[in-house]
Amino acid sequence: MIEYIDVHKAFDVPVLSGVSLTVGTRETLSIVGPSGTGKSVLLKTTNGLLAPDLGDVRIDGVSVYHSSRDTLSAIRRKVGYVFQYAALFDSMNVFENVCTGLPDGEAKRARSTEVLRKVCDALEDVNLDPALVLHKLPSELSGGMRKRVGLARAIVGRPEILLYDEPVTGLDPVNTATISRLVLEIRERTHVTSIVVTHDIEQALEISDRVALLTHGKLRFVGTPAEFRASDDPVVRAFADRRAAAEAALQLVEGEDEEETEEEP
Amino acid sequence: MKTLARRTVVGLLAHIGRTAETVARHAGEMTLLTWRVAAATVTGRVALRDVLGQLHSIGVGSIPLVAVTAVLSGVVTSQQGGYQFTSSIPLYVLGSVVTSSVVLELGPVMTSFVLIGRVGARITAELGTMKVSEQIDALHSLGRDPVSVLAAPRIIAGTIATPLLVGLADGIGVFAGLVAARFAVGLGPDSFLYGARLYWHSWDLLYSISKGLVFGFIIPLISVHMGFGTRGGAEGVGRATTAAVVFMIITVLVLDATFPPLFLN
Repeated sequence: MIEYIDVHKAFDVPVLSGVSLTVGTRETLSIVGPSGTGKSVLLKTTNGLLAPDLGDVRIDGVSVYHSSRDTLSAIRRKVGYVFQYAALFDSMNVFENVCTGLPDGEAKRARSTEVLRKVCDALEDVNLDPALVLHKLPSELSGGMRKRVGLARAIVGRPEILLYDEPVTGLDPVNTATISRLVLEIRERTHVTSIVVTHDIEQALEISDRVALLTHGKLRFVGTPAEFRASDDPVVRAFADRRAAAEAALQLVEGEDEEETEEEP
Repeated sequence: MKTLARRTVVGLLAHIGRTAETVARHAGEMTLLTWRVAAATVTGRVALRDVLGQLHSIGVGSIPLVAVTAVLSGVVTSQQGGYQFTSSIPLYVLGSVVTSSVVLELGPVMTSFVLIGRVGARITAELGTMKVSEQIDALHSLGRDPVSVLAAPRIIAGTIATPLLVGLADGIGVFAGLVAARFAVGLGPDSFLYGARLYWHSWDLLYSISKGLVFGFIIPLISVHMGFGTRGGAEGVGRATTAAVVFMIITVLVLDATFPPLFLN
């Protein structure tokens, strides 16, 4: 179980303003919302990539921010993270990249047959042919393949929690559908707890047990896809309708700009 | 007029304050980085394979450029010295001038400049790119410590390789000066070596190697620090690399200026 407790985070301006949320074990939760509302920042507080200014995040009751370095390492081993642009290591080939997702002891035995099998299994799990990609560098892969290698690296260590940061951003519709299907398949097969940050509301409603809408650094809605579709909240309704989503996001941003203008002396 | 003067003074004080704050911040962060590298090394979290790889890249890879620089330094010092000494000063003194110039100053400083351009800039650009493409975050999320994996091997290798390169540059520079003296001013090797021995102190080489040790530590330390602090995409990487090179050159020159009063007087 993941608990976000009154999480605040500001850079030059406040990004998260008191987010409290609980994600149950084996649940898949999608976080949607306009750009710049702190979705990725919230995700990065889950495994300590960003420390909140105030509040806490707990995983299975253990605080991410009030624990020892060893405990944080143990938490990170439980959590797989799929980065927006895959964040593959440029100088390593696909095999070496996926190997880094294994626990330290196993990764050091990179030449063993068992490690090779695990890496190949992870690549097959994300619909990549190990024979074709194993020795390629990230720069030799397409955007969709890079995302899938990033996913393979995240799942090869069999994590209990998977965090997806914009898994379909920049992908064509075919690759978007492929990644969505993979998220579902991985959930079915490994029963992981998943949090998906996405702009794609259709993907969010398709793959999630619950959907959270984040606006202006606060949660505006948390509920099932059915509740999301049936919500009376005009912003939620706008997001449920994909075409209207862009308009709503634009209005939100414009409203924010107007508020800022009015506040100026 | 008074207002203008007051504004100028306030502006100057503000600039000094900002510069002092920046220097203090960098100094604090680099002290912390040094501590973390030391802790990672002492606790055995730095892989020997990574250190050897960096030793090859920083040390062996720099030999040709260091050798060329040392040859040119020795030749130019010998020719210019010979040009000045031909009338009144005994020509064998040229041996001492070349040896002292190369060993006490040119060997360590020119080698450091080569390493700043060839190694320091590369480290900052490499780590900066990793930072902006979330590869450093990926290391964190995989439970690996970037200080142990990236920083420590580079700093350890720099600290080991640079004194050796300085020793090599000293030898090559003096030999090149000896050969150049023969052809430029007709000073034979015996006379050159007689002059060199005449004013030679046993600790001169130790002094030179000590400079190499200090510069060899500070160059990768600054470049790693600047790389880890990179923000803002490709432009940010360019900015960080330029700033790192300037920072390294100034630091090496300032440290170089502290050596004579500390160790020669």
